[in-house]
This record gives sequence, C-alpha cells and structure tokens, in this order.
Amino acid sequence: MNPETMLETILREAQDKIREAALSAPRRIEVKAPRERLVELLAWLKQAFGLAHLGTISGVDLGESFEVLYHLSNADGTVTVRVQAPRSEPRIPSVCSVIPGAILYERELQDMFGLVVENIPDPRPLLLADDWPAGEYPLRKDWTFERPAEVIPGGK
Amino acid sequence: MEFKVQLGPQHPALHEPISIRMTLDGEVIRDADLRLGYNHRGIEKLAESRTFIQNLYLTERICGICSFSHQTCYTQGVEKLMELVPAKRGLYIRTLVCELERVHSHLLWLGVAGQEAGFESFFMYTWRDREVVMDILDWISGNRVHYSMNTFGGVRRDIDEMQRKKILDTLGLLKQRTDYYLNLAASEPTFVGRLAGVGKLSRQQAIDLCAVGPTLRASGVPMDVRKDDPYAVYAEIPFEVATADSCDVLGRAVVRVKELIQSYNMIEFLLKNLPEGPFKVKAPRKVKPNEVYSRYEAPRGENVHYIKSNGSDKPERLKVRAPTLANYPATIAMLKNGFIADIPLIFAAIDPCICCAERLVQLEDARGGSSRVLSFSQLRAMANERAKNTDFTKREIAWPF
Repeated sequence: MNPETMLETILREAQDKIREAALSAPRRIEVKAPRERLVELLAWLKQAFGLAHLGTISGVDLGESFEVLYHLSNADGTVTVRVQAPRSEPRIPSVCSVIPGAILYERELQDMFGLVVENIPDPRPLLLADDWPAGEYPLRKDWTFERPAEVIPGGK
Repeated sequence: MEFKVQLGPQHPALHEPISIRMTLDGEVIRDADLRLGYNHRGIEKLAESRTFIQNLYLTERICGICSFSHQTCYTQGVEKLMELVPAKRGLYIRTLVCELERVHSHLLWLGVAGQEAGFESFFMYTWRDREVVMDILDWISGNRVHYSMNTFGGVRRDIDEMQRKKILDTLGLLKQRTDYYLNLAASEPTFVGRLAGVGKLSRQQAIDLCAVGPTLRASGVPMDVRKDDPYAVYAEIPFEVATADSCDVLGRAVVRVKELIQSYNMIEFLLKNLPEGPFKVKAPRKVKPNEVYSRYEAPRGENVHYIKSNGSDKPERLKVRAPTLANYPATIAMLKNGFIADIPLIFAAIDPCICCAERLVQLEDARGGSSRVLSFSQLRAMANERAKNTDFTKREIAWPF
C-alpha cells in the first residue's frame, strides 16, 4: 500500500479518531489527534496497516503546551501521530497496551518533560541521576543550566 | 530461593556503564531490570544552543563506533529542512563511508561474539581485519574514528583515482577472509553449539518490543531502512536484506556475516560507478521553520533523529534515538529464563557486552524484603559467622590427601 492510499484510508475510516491528516513529505504522513483517542488510534493503525514499529516518541516544548509525537513505521512509510497536552495539565495516556516497546520512550518523556503518562506499567525514572531534584525537567525550554563556579580544592 | 544480583554500572569489561539487576533462581534468570543514564550527557539540550554546523560535530560524538551513522542521519534531516539537493558524487562517497563503517562495526561485533563464546582466535582474526577497514577510512577521511566527512550538501573530502584503486585492491582481501569466516562459523561445531538456541526472541516478540537491526532481522522480519525508506543512493545500489529465522544469537551472527558480504559488493559497486562532478554544493546558514523525521540504518539497527527548526541558525529540538535503546526491551525478553552463563553472549548480540559480576552484591532478604549493599569483606565476615553456627554433618569425613 503506498502512502497516498494509506492517507485516504485514514481520512475515510478513522475520521472520528483524528483531527487532521496530511502527507508532509514523500513517505511521511502527519496525523493530528486528540489525546483522549490516542490509544484507540494507534490500535487501529496497527491493525489496519501493520504499523507496529514505534521508532521513538519525541516531546517538544511549545511554551503553552507540550507536543508529543509518535513515529510509527512500516515498509511503506512513516506515520507521525501528534497529540498535545497543555502545560497546566501535562497528562498523556500510555500506549504500552498497544505497543509494549514504548515503555522506555514513555519513561524518558516523564523524566525529561515532566509529562505524566497515565497507566504506564513502570513509572520509575529512567535516565536522570538518583539524586536529581524533583520538579526539574531538563528538556523544558524554561529549564536552563548554569555551570557552577569552579572551585580548586586547596586553591585560593 | 530467589535472589538479586546487580551487574555494573562500572566494570572494566563494559564498554558502556549500564546496570542490570537480575532476579535469579539458581542459575536461571527469572527477571532482569535495566537502569540507564550513567552516560547521559545532555546532548539533546546542548544541541539546542549550537548552530546547525556545530551540531554536525556534536552528533558525530554521540557514539564512538557508529559516529558516521549519527552524523549522516542528522545531515540528511537538515538537508531536507534546507530543501537542499546534495551533490551526486558527494552522496556516493557518503554511502561508501556508511558501508565501510558497517563493515568495521560488524567485524568488531564478530570478534566480540567469538570472544564471549570462548573462541579467542576468531576475535584475533576479525580484529586484525578490522584494522584494514580502519586504514581505508583513514585514507579517505584522515581519521580512524570520527571521520567528519559530512557537510550539508555533500561531503568534505573527495576521493581520487589512486585511493579508489587502493580500496578496490584491499577489498579483495577482506572478501576472501569473510568467506573463510562464514565457512568457519558454519562448520565449527563448538562455536555453533554455543550460539544456537541462546537468547531466543520470537518473531512476534521482536515486533511487539520494537527491536531494530540485526536483532529484528534474525527473528525473520526483513525490516531494513535502506530498503524501506531509501536514503543517500541506496535506491540505486543492488543489495539484499539479510535475514535469519533461527531467532537466536546464531541467527544474529549469520545476519551480520551476510550483511558484511552485501556491504563488500555495495562498496565495489559504489567505487566502480562513482559519478564525476562536484562533491558538495553550497548550503544556507539559516533554516526555515519546519520539522523532519530522519531514519538511517546504522550497523546496530534503525537510527532516528527528529529535528525541528524555528527559522534561526539553531535547531528548536533535536531528538536522537540510538538503535541500542530500541533493543533494550527485547534484550530483557531474551535474558528471561536464560542462564547466567549466557548473559555476556546475549548482551553482546545486541552490541554492548558484559562479562562478569562485580564485587558488590545487593542482597534482598527473601522474607523481610529489606535490601542492603555489602562490601566483599562484610560478606566474608557474614559467611564466616554463618559457618561457625552451622552443623556440618560431614565434618568427620577425612580429607583423603
């Protein structure tokens, strides 16, 4: 199935699950979806096109809200499903029930953006250090790092 | 009785700091848990404060073995953002370096697999040949590890007629030796016996856990970004996707050896069909607001960069997903119900390798559930204490010598 047919099928059969869908580049389909329908949409995409391979989940800080992108690939192309979560209520559903391999990416999102992934099978921190202060999310745009002044032991 | 043993994060035999905590039942691993982040360098955050050109050299330093795969993945993405069509000759040279890198990485892996399986001479052989590939890369780029060949619009160095001849001559030697390894691996019963049936990952598991690269292809899924989503000049080169159906470490070795042979043919094709013309075109400094999802088939599997630009000369967001991260969930599945002795082999099969436990054991009381970390001397003292109070019924039996 080529990407054009795939897009047509999405527009025809998954209307209720998406906001909009378009072809953004050769072999790349962009789908915007409400976060409440995300799990349903991914399950449908997996069943309809065999889109079972999740490349990664990218988070982007847009200021007022967070954008979360699910990059799904099969032999014909890549479908990027994007959902948004407002900064005041940063919650997204876990997709591990559909794609078990998403677990590490979801844990990374929680660490780096402070997004709360609901129903995640394993909510422990993944990448940040054990003594990392709570409530600090390094990939948020308002998080900046200042290098502490260098102190030479025994120096003046 | 079940107990937990921790491997890593720091160990002389590990090339990367990673910690695995295993729940063992005798010799059998019942559960494994990974703790990552010991080598987290904040590159994604750093990339947001560097220009696109500076990030070329930053992304290259994500990895020391597949440095070129990260750089190429990033370069291709930015070229798409810039709407730049790279020079044809530049793309051929870029693909050539990609394949040479795959050859050196796979030879490295074969050596590591040989060593983990107790086949030390195999390790010596393949690493000797890896030097040959590293020398070729040195002739082309001037560097053995970080080639710094890519730039937006092509590559930074051309290759001349003499280099081309020299590489083609050397390739014959490598081909001959890889054929020998293929025969060796297939006909050496101890080597095959050690690898077969270890680290089982069924086809369905591999798909569900989003495994990539040789790990996925050895479970019979012919997914290869070079075929599915051709980049550079892969659409013009004849090659086959190597797969195996055995779903174990042996399959992963077979896939890699097959890929080596495919790579040699590709390198030969690229050198014989190298087009004339410029090897790079001029690229703009600023990039229009847009975003791109760039995929690349690294030696270890699918490498992914997501790049978002905002109209300035710096990226808004750079997301990197290296193939090893994608293979971790599958590794846990492979470790489960395997033996302790198979850990190095299973881990080596995705590429990082782990040899033996360190001298720090976290004991978890099976009844109380409390856990504490003990040093070797404390553990020894505990063992002595326990020995004193134990009734040895066989104490009267005389030591025969």
